[in-house]
Amino acid sequence: MLEQIFTITFFTAFFSATVRMAVPLAYAALGEVFLERAGILNIGMEGVMLGGAFFSFAGAFYSNNLFIGLICGMLGGCVVSLIHGFLCIKLSQNQSVSGIALNIFMLGVTSFGYRLMSEGQSYQQIEPFATIKIPLLGDIPLIGDALFNQDILTYCVYVLIVIAIVFYKKTAAGLAFSSIGEHPASADAAGISVYKYQWIAIIVNGILGGIGGAVLVLVQTGKFSENMVSGRGYIALAAVILGRYTPLGSFGAALVFGGANALQIRLQALGVPLPTQALAMLPYIVTLIALLGSIGRSNEPESLSKPYVRGSR
Amino acid sequence: MKTKKHLLDILWIVIIAVAATTLMMILCKASPLEAYQMFFNGIFGNLSSFCEVFVKATPLILTGLGCAVAFRTGFFNIGAEGQFYVGAIAAAMVALNLTGVPGPARIVLSMLAGFICGGVWALIAAIFKAKFGISEIIVTIMLNYIAINFLGIAVRTFLMDPEGTVPQSARIESSSALGLLMPPTRLNAGIIIAVAAVIIVWILMEKTKVGYEIKVVGFNKRAAKCNGISVMKNIVVSAFLSGGLAGLAGVIEVIGIQKKLLEGISSDCGYTAVLIALIASNNPIGVLIAAVGFAAMQVGANSMQRQMGIPSAIVNILIGLVVLLILGRKIFRLSFFRKKAKN
Repeated sequence: MLEQIFTITFFTAFFSATVRMAVPLAYAALGEVFLERAGILNIGMEGVMLGGAFFSFAGAFYSNNLFIGLICGMLGGCVVSLIHGFLCIKLSQNQSVSGIALNIFMLGVTSFGYRLMSEGQSYQQIEPFATIKIPLLGDIPLIGDALFNQDILTYCVYVLIVIAIVFYKKTAAGLAFSSIGEHPASADAAGISVYKYQWIAIIVNGILGGIGGAVLVLVQTGKFSENMVSGRGYIALAAVILGRYTPLGSFGAALVFGGANALQIRLQALGVPLPTQALAMLPYIVTLIALLGSIGRSNEPESLSKPYVRGSR
Repeated sequence: MKTKKHLLDILWIVIIAVAATTLMMILCKASPLEAYQMFFNGIFGNLSSFCEVFVKATPLILTGLGCAVAFRTGFFNIGAEGQFYVGAIAAAMVALNLTGVPGPARIVLSMLAGFICGGVWALIAAIFKAKFGISEIIVTIMLNYIAINFLGIAVRTFLMDPEGTVPQSARIESSSALGLLMPPTRLNAGIIIAVAAVIIVWILMEKTKVGYEIKVVGFNKRAAKCNGISVMKNIVVSAFLSGGLAGLAGVIEVIGIQKKLLEGISSDCGYTAVLIALIASNNPIGVLIAAVGFAAMQVGANSMQRQMGIPSAIVNILIGLVVLLILGRKIFRLSFFRKKAKN
């Protein structure tokens, strides 16, 4: 059994599967990092991703164009986030309740919408994005195939991570976006328009979460099915914590979650007699331990999920 | 004045919800009149479907009650899903393994085990929060997935039916399962337990010192502390109670309805419970009404799906919409728009 596992082919396939599983999570986690650093918790990420998945499918199916599908997915995710933003920024409502309501609402909306769409046709499929192999880099043994023989949306996530790192480390706007999650009143006093920045964060969250859902459709499966996000939105929330609220960290955490999932599938294919759930459960336990490890030096934004009401104490 | 405003809000929400339902029926190319007829026919049409409402309401009442108790202290337990699973696993273990214990005693034992295990599961999050100040929202979500996967392991290994090939437990003997109240309907003693729990929790919250302290902590932690009420103790108590109630829902699902342990046993009622508690403004009696109302909608919608092909997903849309409208109820007030105009 062990000889079967410790082979180059096994690891190459495992790394490829890891990256594939991680990309939707990475998009969603990056969007969530952006919003949580601005002080708003969006438990509705599941709903945002569902919106992205469904509308990207509908857009691509009716227009026969993957890029129009992608834009529809972004808009779909955005609408869900904007509802969250309206309730949490404008009306200062409980962010967790709003998020859970959005998840259930979107589960209903997308299932309903898909039933309407698929009426009379039993099977709808679109041609997903093709993989583009990057010359030279794609030939690196072990990881070349995983990292550089992917589709355009995977390459985009690398670029976005780099941009996000630079944004938070080097720019004044990045600092402003972090400060409103830590102490909005001070940020406000320093002349940062808290509400405006939170609205921007909401839009970014919707776009990235929407792409996260769209990846499932436009890259991985080419079709939509009811509840196809199946908990990935919640996993993205965990990835944000495990990644200590940083873009690179959350990407790493997405790889951990993706890797656990990929390993479970690979081992199952080899017929290893281990309940796959044992592996699937591990990342959550790791996250809990990571939470315990962060006691005293927590990276959580100070004002996370506390509505900011201007002028209140 | 305030109640008048309140009633007006409810009126608006009902109007919008009915309008949305009608619109969805039209989108499905169904006649709304006929569809509504099917909807009510599905609920009140015959005894067995009417009883089904209460069968479906039982887990929702208990999990909703659990959420309501926790929300009262400001402990945002969205882990009812996981606590439900843990309760279900505990119940199955007791019911299947303690074969030496007579039936009725085994029922009581499985309920006790489910309640305690569910409570302990929530307690983990409560300790994280009360002791280390870690957000219970994330911890309960993590615990949900751990519990769900643990059930997956259980039904494939130590609780798997030795004679079966599907990942589920052996069938629980009828002596240690909850009795049916009105055969052939699926109505079982679980509903009695759920209603009893509503009454007990109501008395606990409204008439005892424990409930009073829980509410004070929820209203104002500082004031509670200044008056010698331990915030930590009350969070822990309400979390245990909350998890226990959700665990009990899992027990009833196993020994009352499914008669075995299987994956996906909760049908996501742990998340719906959060919304039910909110609709009921964390009031036990309100939870009872909201849960029965939601279960009735599910049963009616299932009948619409069977008879007219209208997707039952509209139930999810409706409950989500209602909660979003409750959160956004300020938009019904003219003053909301006036203030915006002034700015």
